[in-house]
Amino acid sequence: MPMETPRKAVQSPKKRKQSPNNDKSKQPVSLSIHLFPQTPQPPLRRSSRRSLHPFASKTIDQIPDLNRPTEAAEAIEKCNVKSVNTPKKHSKGTLNEEDSEIPELSKLGKRNEEAETTFSPVSPEASESKKRKRGSSKEESVKRLRILKCKLNTEDEEIPELGTLDEGNDEVAATFSPVLPAAAEMKKRKKGQEKGVATRAMSTMSSKKSMEGEKKKKKRVYYKKVVYDGGEFEVGDDVYLKKREDASSDDEVPEMEECRVCFKAGRGVMIECDDCLGGFHLKCLKPPLKEVPEGDWVCGFCQARKLGKNIEFPKPPVGKKRARTLREKLLAGDLWAVRIESLWKEVDGSYWFRGRWYKIPEETASGRQPHNLRRELYRTNDFADTEMESIIRHCNVMSPKEYAKATDEGDDVFLCEYEYDIQWHSFKRLAEIDDDDEADGECASSDEDWNACKEADSDTDEDMEYEEENARNAQARPSTTNQLAANSRKGRFFGLQKVGTKKIPEHVRCHKQTDLERAKATLLLATLPKFLPCRNKEMEEIATFIKGAICDDQCLGRCLYIHGVPGTGKTMSVLAVMKNIKSEVDAGSIRPYCFVEVNGLKLAAPENIYTVIYEALTGHRVSWKNALQLLNERFSDGKKMAKEDDRPCILLIDELDLLVTRNQSVLYNILDWPTKPNSKLIVIGIANTMDLPEKLLPRISSRMGIQRLCFGPYNYQQLQEIISSRLKGLDAFEKQAVEFASRKVAAISGDARRALEICRRAAEIADYHVKSQISTATSSKGKELVTMADVDAAIQEMFQAPHVQVMKNCSKLSKIFLTAMVYELYKTGMGETTFEKLATTVSCICTSNGEAFPGWDTLLKVGCQLGECRIIVCEAGDRHRLQKLQLNFPSDDVAFALKDSKDLPWLAKYL
Amino acid sequence: MGREKEKEKPSEKALNLLRSRLADPNFIFKPLSDSPDSNYSKLKFIISTSVTEACNNSILLLGPRGSGKVAVLELVLSDLLQQYPDVISVIRLNGLLHSDDNCALKEIARQLCMEHQLLFSKVASFDDNSQFMIAMLRECGLAHKTIIFVLDEFDFFAQGKQRLLYSLLDAMQSVNSQSVVIGVSCRLDVDQLLEKRVRSRFSHRKLLFLSPSKEDTERFMEHILSLPVDSSIPQNYTAEFNGRLKKIISDERFKELITTYLSFNFTIGHLVRFQAVSYMDLDVGFLSLENFKTALSSNQRQSKLECIREYKSIHDSSQTSDNYAANVCLRAFEHLLQRQLISFIDNKGHNQSVEFRPVKLLISSAELHQGLKSSHQCPPVTMLRAARTHLENPSAFWLLTPQHLYSVMH
Repeated sequence: MPMETPRKAVQSPKKRKQSPNNDKSKQPVSLSIHLFPQTPQPPLRRSSRRSLHPFASKTIDQIPDLNRPTEAAEAIEKCNVKSVNTPKKHSKGTLNEEDSEIPELSKLGKRNEEAETTFSPVSPEASESKKRKRGSSKEESVKRLRILKCKLNTEDEEIPELGTLDEGNDEVAATFSPVLPAAAEMKKRKKGQEKGVATRAMSTMSSKKSMEGEKKKKKRVYYKKVVYDGGEFEVGDDVYLKKREDASSDDEVPEMEECRVCFKAGRGVMIECDDCLGGFHLKCLKPPLKEVPEGDWVCGFCQARKLGKNIEFPKPPVGKKRARTLREKLLAGDLWAVRIESLWKEVDGSYWFRGRWYKIPEETASGRQPHNLRRELYRTNDFADTEMESIIRHCNVMSPKEYAKATDEGDDVFLCEYEYDIQWHSFKRLAEIDDDDEADGECASSDEDWNACKEADSDTDEDMEYEEENARNAQARPSTTNQLAANSRKGRFFGLQKVGTKKIPEHVRCHKQTDLERAKATLLLATLPKFLPCRNKEMEEIATFIKGAICDDQCLGRCLYIHGVPGTGKTMSVLAVMKNIKSEVDAGSIRPYCFVEVNGLKLAAPENIYTVIYEALTGHRVSWKNALQLLNERFSDGKKMAKEDDRPCILLIDELDLLVTRNQSVLYNILDWPTKPNSKLIVIGIANTMDLPEKLLPRISSRMGIQRLCFGPYNYQQLQEIISSRLKGLDAFEKQAVEFASRKVAAISGDARRALEICRRAAEIADYHVKSQISTATSSKGKELVTMADVDAAIQEMFQAPHVQVMKNCSKLSKIFLTAMVYELYKTGMGETTFEKLATTVSCICTSNGEAFPGWDTLLKVGCQLGECRIIVCEAGDRHRLQKLQLNFPSDDVAFALKDSKDLPWLAKYL
Repeated sequence: MGREKEKEKPSEKALNLLRSRLADPNFIFKPLSDSPDSNYSKLKFIISTSVTEACNNSILLLGPRGSGKVAVLELVLSDLLQQYPDVISVIRLNGLLHSDDNCALKEIARQLCMEHQLLFSKVASFDDNSQFMIAMLRECGLAHKTIIFVLDEFDFFAQGKQRLLYSLLDAMQSVNSQSVVIGVSCRLDVDQLLEKRVRSRFSHRKLLFLSPSKEDTERFMEHILSLPVDSSIPQNYTAEFNGRLKKIISDERFKELITTYLSFNFTIGHLVRFQAVSYMDLDVGFLSLENFKTALSSNQRQSKLECIREYKSIHDSSQTSDNYAANVCLRAFEHLLQRQLISFIDNKGHNQSVEFRPVKLLISSAELHQGLKSSHQCPPVTMLRAARTHLENPSAFWLLTPQHLYSVMH
C-alpha cells in the first residue's frame, strides 16, 4: 500500500549511512548530548521530535508512485496545497513569513548533515571528531549568517519540493548547500512553537470530527492499525522512538545482543545478568554454566562490584565497537519509548501518531530509586504528536504481572508499574484493571488543553510567539485562572492529579511476599477473582435474560428482580455477566448497549436516582425534576435525544429497597418505563428481601415481580470451593482449616464475605505469630500454615460477643451489681427492675457477705457504666431511684462469667 | 518573689512532671504496649499490614470508657506516621459530631482536601462528596497512600440508613483502595447495630480493651509516680522520692486503699484520675499515704447526702428565726428541684405555680434515712421526712405537692 512505499525510498539512503555511524553508540550519554550539534541543549523533547518535517520528503516521495495517475495528481496537488498551506497555518499560529521558511531550512540542514556524514571521504571517526569540533565553537557565529543566506535564496525553498525527483539527488543537492547544523537546530526550536499551534488545531479538529465526519476533504483519517515501514503499528502498541533525527542513522541496530565477554552475537544460549543486564554466553562464563539457572542470576562482574572490588568489563577487541542494543540505548536515555494512543494520516498523506511518553527512572524528579528495577519505565501523562517516521520498532512494555510471566519475548521487554505525573512529579500505580474507557474519556476531554499548558510550563525557553499562544491557552487551564474546589464535581474533580507519591515507597517494592501474605491478598474482598465459582446457573440465567432483552428486535423493556441475603454474590454475578457481554459486544456478536449502575444506598435521596441515570446516559447534570422529565420523554414518549440513544439501556439498581418512598413513585416510574413500547430499557433490581415486590403497591409488584432470581446462601461445599479457588497454588492453609471455616459460616449465614474474612483473619493471626516470633529471634523455620487453631481464633473473634470477657474483667462493684440483677431476676421473674429495688438487693448481698456497701451514688454510677457498655440496658441516671434496668444478655452469660471469679467467690451463691 | 523561690523547689518540679505525665496518654500507655499480646501491637500489626500490603481493613475497638482505646490508637497512629511518613492520612470523625451522613461525608471531604492541599467547597452535595471520597480512595490507593478513618463513638454512626458506613465499606471491597476503617465504641454490641448489608461488608475484626490485672496496676502506678533519675530534678531528692514511693506502694494499707478505689471502676482512665498527686504537700515534698487517703475519701463523696445538708446555708441567708417559715421552705423546695432530688411528675402545667404541681421523690427512703441521721434540724430534711411518710403510703405519693408538704410539716 502507498503508506509503505514512501518510507522505503527514504530508508534506502539511510541504510547506506548506517555502517559508518555505528561508532556513536559507544559514546557516553552525557557527551552525546553536548557534542552533537543538532542538540546542543538538553533534550527539548517535543520540539526536537517534531523537527522531522512532514511534507518535504514525504510528498515528494509519493511521486515515484506515479503509475497511478489520479494519485499522482493528488500528490502533486497536495504538494501545492502544502506549499501554499504552510504559510497559512503559520499565520494562524501568529508566526510570520520568516518562520514559514524555516521548516524547509531545517530539512536542508538535516539533509546536509546526513550527506556530509555519508559522503565525506574520511573515516567515521574522523568525521565524528570534525563534528565535535564544530559543535559549539562555530555554531554561534555561523548561525546568523546561515539564516540570512537562507532567506536570500527563497527559491531554495522549492528545491526539495519541485526540483528533486529522487532522494539521492536531493541529498546531493543538499550536500552542497552550505547550511550548517547550527541553523537546523535553531529551526527546530521554532518548530516547537509551531507545534503548539498544531495541537490546538488538532484538538479543535478532533472534537469536530465526530460531528462532521462526512466532510472527508482535507481531513485527518484515523486508523486503528497502520502498516508502516514493514511493521504493523496499532493503537496501544509501545515503540522505540528516535531522540534525534539522525538517531536511526546513528547505527545499525543489532538484533542480537553481543556477549559481554567474547563480543559475538548468537552462537549458543545467552544469559542475562539481572543487575547490569549484560548478556553472557553460558560457555563464556567462568565457570561455564550448563543451563540457565532458576531465579535471579547476577554475573561475576556485578558480584565483584558489589563486594567493593573495582572490576572492569572485558574490553572489546580493537577495531570493534560493542554495538548497543536499542534497549541499552533507551535505558541510557538515548532513545525514547512511547505508547501509541492514536494514529492518523495527515492531510498531506504523512502518518502521525499521538504518543504517550515513557520515562526511565533517571529522568524523573526523584531519580533512580534503589528499588527500581533495571528494566523499569514510567508511563507519563505527557502526550505529543509525532510523525511515524521516527519510530524505530516495537518494544514491549508490560505490567508487572505480564512481566513476571514473560520468558522469551526478547530483549525489548520493559516493566511499567507506575504512572509519572510530569507536572507534580509524583507517582501513581497504574490501575490493575485498566478501565480504559473511563481514562480515555477523561483524556479526550482534557488532553488538548492539558498538553498545551504543560508545554507552556516546561518549555520556558520559548520565544515571544509562543507567549501569545499561552495567553490563549490560559483560559483553558484549570489550575491557575479560576481555582475549582476538589470535592464539588462540575464534570470532574479538580486537583486529583496532585495526589501521588513523590517517591515510590520502598516497602512496596523491596518486600518479598510470603505465602501467608499472598494468601491474605487473594482473600481480600477487593481482589476480584478471575472466575466466580458456584454461581454458574444464576449467571447463565442473567445472561440469557439480558441477551434476550437486547437481541430482541422489538427490544421490549424487561425487568428482573434478584434477591438473596448479603454476601451471596448478587452484584458480582451481574457485573461479571455484563463484562462477558461487553466482550461479546466488542467482538461484534451483540449490538452495543449502555449500562448504568446505581446503588440505592449511595444516593442521598431516592429521587436523586433520576439525576444519576440521566447523567450516566447523557453526561449532563440536571436537577432530579428535570431529569425525570427528560427521562420520561426519552423512555415513555420515545423522543430520542441523540443518535446513540437508540441503543438499549440496561439499568442495574443495587439495594432497590432503598428507593421505596412513601408513595413509591420513584420505583413506579422506573419500573413503568420498561413497559413502554420504545423504551428499550432493561431494569435489573437487586435487594435482600425476597418479598419486596409483595410489600409494594400492586401496580409496582405487577411490573417488577414477574421475573425473579434467587441467590440462596452458599452451602459449605460452595464456600470451600470459593475459598480454595482463590487460594489455588498457594500453600498456606491446612485443608481442614478451610473446611472448618466454611462449615461454620454456612451454618450461620452462608455469607461468602464472612467466610473470606474469617480465612483472611486466620491468615493474619498466623502471620502475626510468625512475625512476632521472628522479632524475638526464636524462630523455628518451617512451613507456616494456617492451622485450625488460627481459624478457630478468627471465628471466636468474629462471632463471639465480647461481653463475657468484659464481665469477667470488670470491677468488683460491677460484678456485685450484675449478680444482684441476676438474683433479682430469679427472685421476681421479671426482666425489668428499678434502681431502688436493686440497691436494696445489693446492700443485702453486701452486708451478708461482709462487703462494705458503697453508697447509692456510687452504685448509680456503676449501673450507668454498665449501661454504657450495654451489658445492661438502663434509663438515664437522672431518674435515680426510678431508673429502670434490664440485663442486655441472657442471665446465663452473667452466671457463666461470674461463677468462678477469684476475688469474689461468694457470688456463685446468688447465680 | 516567693513564687520564684518555689519554682526552684524540686518538689514543685516533681509535681509538674507528674501532672504532665498524668495528662499525657502517650506516656501512660507506653509501658503497656511492649508485649506481643497487647492491643497496641495487635492494632499496629493490622494497620501496618494494610499500609505495607496494600489491603483494606476494618476494625472495631471495644471496651468500657477509660480503658484506653483512643489513647492506644493514637499511640499506634503516631508511631506509624513516623514510620511511614507521607503515606498515611488520618481522617478523624466523631459520632457525637458527625452522626449525620451528610455532614460526616462533608467532613471527610474537608479533611481529605486539607490533607492533600486541595480546594474544598462547602456547598458540594452529598453525591459530590461521596464520589469525591471514592475517587480519592482510588487515587490514594494508586499512589500507595493509606487513608485511615477513625470513627470515634462508632455506635452513633450505626444509626439510620448507615449510608456513610455502607459507602465506606463498599468502597473498600470494590476499588483498589488502601484504607482502614477503625471504629471506636464503648458499646459491646455495636456490631449488632449494623444493618445487615453493612455488617456483611464489615470485616468483624474486634479488639477488646480490658482493664489491667492487679500486678499490672501496681507496676503501672510505680511507672507513673516514680521520678526519672536523669532529669533536672536533684538526684538525692529523686532517690528519696522514689524510695518513699516504693515504701508506700509495698504498704498493705495502700494496697487496700487502691483496691477500694478500683472496686468501683477498674480502668486505667479511672486510675489516672486518682488525684493523690494534687494532694501532695509541697512543703514536705513527698507523696505520703495520707495523700492517697484524702484522694480516696474525696472520691467517695455521696453527693446526694451532701445536698440535703445544704439547707443550712439557705436558712442562714433568709435571716428568720422561724425554722419552718413558708418562704424558706419554698426556697428549699426550689433548691431540691434544682438539685433534682425531687422532680415534677410530668411536664404538664407549666403555667401553674410551683406550689401546686405534683412532684416525686427521686432518692430512695434508705438514702433519705441516712441523710436524716446526719442532720436533724433542717426543714428540708423535715420536708423530705414528710415526703417519706407519704412514701410509705404509696397511694398518696403521686399527689405530693408543696402545699401538701407544708401541711404535713406543721
